Amino acid sequence: MEFTVKKYDLLAELNLTQGVVERKTTIPILSHLLCEAKGNRVTLTATDLELSIRTSCEAKIKKEGAGTIPAKKLLELVRLLPEAEIRFRLLENHWVQITSDRRNYKMVGMAKDNFPAIPAFPHPLVKIPAGILSSLIARTAFAISMEESRYTLNGAQLTLKPDMIAMVATDGHRLALAETDHSFAGLSNETRPLVPKKAMTEIQRLAGEAGENGQIEFARDDSHLFFQVESRLLISRILTGQFPNYEAVLPRDNNKKIVLERNEFNDAVRRVSQLADQRSHALKFSVGQEGVELSASSPEYGEATENIDQEYGGEPITIGFNGQYLLDFLAAAPDGPISVELKDEQSAGQFRPLADDQYRYRYIIMPMRI
Amino acid sequence: MPRLAHFRAKREASMLRLDTTPILHVDMDAFFVSVELLERPELRGQPVVVGGQPNRRGVVSAASYEARRYGIHSAMPLRTAGKLCPHAIFLDGRHDLYAEWSDRMATILSRFSPVVEMASIDEAYLDLSGTGRLHGPPLAAAHALLTEIGAQTGLPCSAGLARTRLVAKVGSDQAKPRGLVWVPAGAEAKFLEPLSVRRIPGIGRVTEAALRAMGIETVGQLAGIPEERLQEFFGRWGTALYRKAHGEDSYEFIVDAEPKSISHSHTFGSDTSHRPALESMLSCLCQKGAQRLRDACLDACTVTLRIRYAGFRTVTRSKTLSEPTHLDPVLLATLRRLFERHWEQRPVRLIGIEFGRLSHGVNQMGLFDPEWREKLERLARATDQLRDRFGFAKVQFGGSLGCAKDH
Repeated sequence: MEFTVKKYDLLAELNLTQGVVERKTTIPILSHLLCEAKGNRVTLTATDLELSIRTSCEAKIKKEGAGTIPAKKLLELVRLLPEAEIRFRLLENHWVQITSDRRNYKMVGMAKDNFPAIPAFPHPLVKIPAGILSSLIARTAFAISMEESRYTLNGAQLTLKPDMIAMVATDGHRLALAETDHSFAGLSNETRPLVPKKAMTEIQRLAGEAGENGQIEFARDDSHLFFQVESRLLISRILTGQFPNYEAVLPRDNNKKIVLERNEFNDAVRRVSQLADQRSHALKFSVGQEGVELSASSPEYGEATENIDQEYGGEPITIGFNGQYLLDFLAAAPDGPISVELKDEQSAGQFRPLADDQYRYRYIIMPMRI
Repeated sequence: MPRLAHFRAKREASMLRLDTTPILHVDMDAFFVSVELLERPELRGQPVVVGGQPNRRGVVSAASYEARRYGIHSAMPLRTAGKLCPHAIFLDGRHDLYAEWSDRMATILSRFSPVVEMASIDEAYLDLSGTGRLHGPPLAAAHALLTEIGAQTGLPCSAGLARTRLVAKVGSDQAKPRGLVWVPAGAEAKFLEPLSVRRIPGIGRVTEAALRAMGIETVGQLAGIPEERLQEFFGRWGTALYRKAHGEDSYEFIVDAEPKSISHSHTFGSDTSHRPALESMLSCLCQKGAQRLRDACLDACTVTLRIRYAGFRTVTRSKTLSEPTHLDPVLLATLRRLFERHWEQRPVRLIGIEFGRLSHGVNQMGLFDPEWREKLERLARATDQLRDRFGFAKVQFGGSLGCAKDH
């Protein structure tokens, strides 16, 4: 293997691989990139066995072939090199020589045959606009459970139908759901894979690179999801298990409704949360004729009360919510009015940004007992 | 066994401050030594050291008052103690035995107040408020309690009675051995004034040295320093110091005391391999543990079963739950499975449970909680309320009937 490549061409692709490469892995080869030179392109592959990325850039190939290079070290080095051509050459014992002008480096590689095989892209199913997928992820990813024990909640459910796309995520206490109409040419059946959280971050990165009007080619087989943007391909294992039957818990008769401005609401929750219990983040949310009263107290730090004036003609209600759950949502919601819809102090509350009707965005939080 | 952590979960610091009802701190005198002396009365009056042999590694766990005269104190290396008093009697510690006696003591304490916090194996705080009609005014109750412990266990103990936990603790320390110090409300400053700052719990060698550098040796001198000045020197600890010097409980004192695990065990009067008896005891211990979890607003993530067979071989087996809980049936089902799998069908001397990896989260309701969960929550709340008033054994699951005594 021998080739030369422009620094910025290479750096852009290296940056994309970094989210996939494992930092703390017990399998040494997973901290390496597979580097393959063929035709007029060099292809880089990174994997953590759950998530893989394959990307390529133009290069002048002198001798075709492949090798592996420590991913983090390569990125650091390439970042520091001046803008010029970089030459790569595979030496004996899997070492790789890297040359830039009169600068000379040799990195310890590993046998390329040990690099895990990456599944090939099957027949594409459908094209998804990058902007839509990215928006769905931004509105839901934060609600994914971090608890490893609740394995099927460690990802979001992506629903694709011929005329709509939706994403829903939950950690068992709150649930974020966003959906939008889009006609997917060529899609006949419904598909509902579970996308792992780490993959969602990388999809967003990929979507960002694709630009506003970019398209992501989507495909799946029995155990993998494939997202391709031009020469970049992200492959994620599908989370196994049964996603909870979330439709059954979507509130239907939350008839106590009040509308708040996102910014005002967000600022008040942030301030009041300062004095909420540090562990439970419990906030008291009282709705009455005057509007909303938010309050919190912490045995260590003190207490806080704020009022947001707003007309409300319904029955008064006092309900407890985890302040952090509210803030997560308010950070993802667009500016404008937010409809808060409650039923009673033991039933889930629903929050909907009214300005976001393109995505029919709903966020549902179970209350805290107060 | 009374309920640990009850105190801190249900009484806030501000309430303690305003409440003039005395707090009782009960502290056993040279506890480990006293327990040993029960079995070996011939050692009475001699310097006795518990912890191990002086030619071995280790530290002193407890020393009799006679041994203390030679300068021996807890946490001192055994070798040093051996040099200070070569003719002292050195005993190996028997912690199971001490735990058993500690349980007995706790049982007696819980007769005097529903609010008992075992601060360690040999000391406890009681809130005597509202017990007047049963036990008389706090001072009379305290006296009766000390007499009762003496009569029932033969173990010496001391107590301090005061408005705050801090003063009560300093009081019991001053009362030792076999004494009772009452610090009436309003007299705290006068009581603390002449004492060395080291007598205040939480002030160790480091703070003492820092204070001495400021020319402060007594609590009285410390109380004369403005709060701002202490804050300047010690930061948040300064605020705590200021409060302590004025006999108030500091927040830090309460918050730091969060339990890391909750455990209960029972030693059978005679070893048993009767399955119903063992399962019934398991249910009883589980209910006690679960109630303590709820009292402290905690959830447990791991459940541990401990079985000690005749002959002292002990088996400990744990299981991690898929999500933290404080509900009896969930915890008990896990314990039962552990018991089923690991009990060797042999006579059991002791059976115990432990709830670990505790977290706060009790109050968050779940989206996908089955309906039975909310019902169990309501059942647990109702049970706890009844037990607070009428005692543990008055309401229980059928599985532990005939097993749970009122302690």
